[in-house]
Amino acid sequence: MQEFFELARKLLAEQLDVEIDSILMETTFEALEADSIDIVEMIMGLEDIYHVEFPEEELEDFPTVGSLITALYQYLQEVGK
Amino acid sequence: MGGDHAPAEVVAGALAWAADNADNHLLLVGKQEVIEAEIASIKEAGGFACSPEQVVIVNANEVIGCDESPATALRRKKDASIVVASALVKEGKADAVISCGSTGAQMAAAIFILGRMEGIDRPPIIASLPGEGGHRTLLVDVGANVDCKPAQLLQFALLGSVYARSVLGIASPRIGLLNNGSEETKGNALAQQVYSLLKEQEDINFIGNVEGRDLFSPIADIVVCDGFTGNILLKALEGLGLFFASSIMKEIDKPPSILESFDYSRVGGAPLLGVNGVSIVCHGSSHREAVANGLRIAEECFRNGIVARQAEELAKCEL
Repeated sequence: MQEFFELARKLLAEQLDVEIDSILMETTFEALEADSIDIVEMIMGLEDIYHVEFPEEELEDFPTVGSLITALYQYLQEVGK
Repeated sequence: MGGDHAPAEVVAGALAWAADNADNHLLLVGKQEVIEAEIASIKEAGGFACSPEQVVIVNANEVIGCDESPATALRRKKDASIVVASALVKEGKADAVISCGSTGAQMAAAIFILGRMEGIDRPPIIASLPGEGGHRTLLVDVGANVDCKPAQLLQFALLGSVYARSVLGIASPRIGLLNNGSEETKGNALAQQVYSLLKEQEDINFIGNVEGRDLFSPIADIVVCDGFTGNILLKALEGLGLFFASSIMKEIDKPPSILESFDYSRVGGAPLLGVNGVSIVCHGSSHREAVANGLRIAEECFRNGIVARQAEELAKCEL
C-alpha cells in the first residue's frame, strides 16, 4: 500500500507542480486545488503503470488523496495485481 | 450532437454547410435513429441540398450532460458522441470535431483523447473581438477553464501569442492581461501573480494590464483572462449587441453591420488551443446558422494547419 501511495503522490505532485511532501493521505484534493481532470490524469497514470483499468467511480466520493488511493489499491488486490 | 437545440438545429446547420461545401464530408456523430429521423424530416421539407455521399452517420449512444463532472463522465461514457467524435479526429478519420454540447466534456475529450501539446496543462478557448479600424483582439480563455492557476494563464498567453504569430501572421503579438486597472498592483491575487509571470516571460511581448473598455481599441492583440471572467465578458458582449440591435431597430430599418460582430451565430465557434487536433467549441444555444459557421471555422483551422503551426511555435518557447 505504501509503495502504491508513493507512486500515486509522485504522479500527482508532478502534475500539480507541488512538493511531494505536501501530499499526505489526509490531504484533500480541494486543498491541492486538483480538479477532476487532475484526478483522472493521476488514475490514468496508475492504470498505465499497472496495466489495469480501474472501475468508474464518482470522484466526488473521495475527498482525500488517501480515500481514493485506498479504494484503487483495494481494487488492485481484488484483481491480483 | 449536443446543444440546447440539438439534434434538429445541429443537423440542419451541418447539412446546410455541406450543401455549400460540396468538396467536404460530414460525419454526424450521435444516436443513429435520431439523426436519420432528422435527415428524413429535412428531406421531406425539401431542405436536403447536399449530396447524400457527403454525409455519414456515426452511431454514438451516450451523451455527456452539462451537469456531469466532465472527466469522470468521459471515462464512464465511452460511447458518448464527444468521445466518439474526438476519437475519429485522433485516428485521422476526421479532420476536426465541433460540438455545441458540454464545453467541459469537450475540453476533457481534447485533453484525454486528442492529447495536449508539451507544456500545456489546460487548453483554453480563443475568441476574436471586433475593434477600431478593423483591428481584432483575441481573448483567451473564453470559457474552457473557470478555475485557473497563474501558470495556466501564462500558458494561455503563450498559446495566444503562438496562434497570433502562426495563424494570423502578427510578428510580435502584444499581450495584455485583463484587469480592473492598468497599474501593476491592480487586481485580485490571481491577476497580480499572473502579471509577475508574464513580465518575466521572454517569449512574449507583454504590454501590461488591459481594462475592459480597452478591448475594442488597437492596444493589444491578445488579452488573457481566466475562463470564468472571459465567458461572462463574452456573453455580456453578446447581450449588449442584441440590446443595441433591438434598440436601434426601433429608430432605423437596419442596424449597423458592426453589431453583427457581436452575434455568436455569425462567429460560429472558437478553437481549443494547445491540443493535438482541431476541436471547435460552439455556443450551447447554437441554431443552424451558428452550426454552419462553426463548421466553417473548423475547416479554416484545419486548412490553416493550426495544430502543426502551434506545435512548431510552442516548441520554441520556454515552458
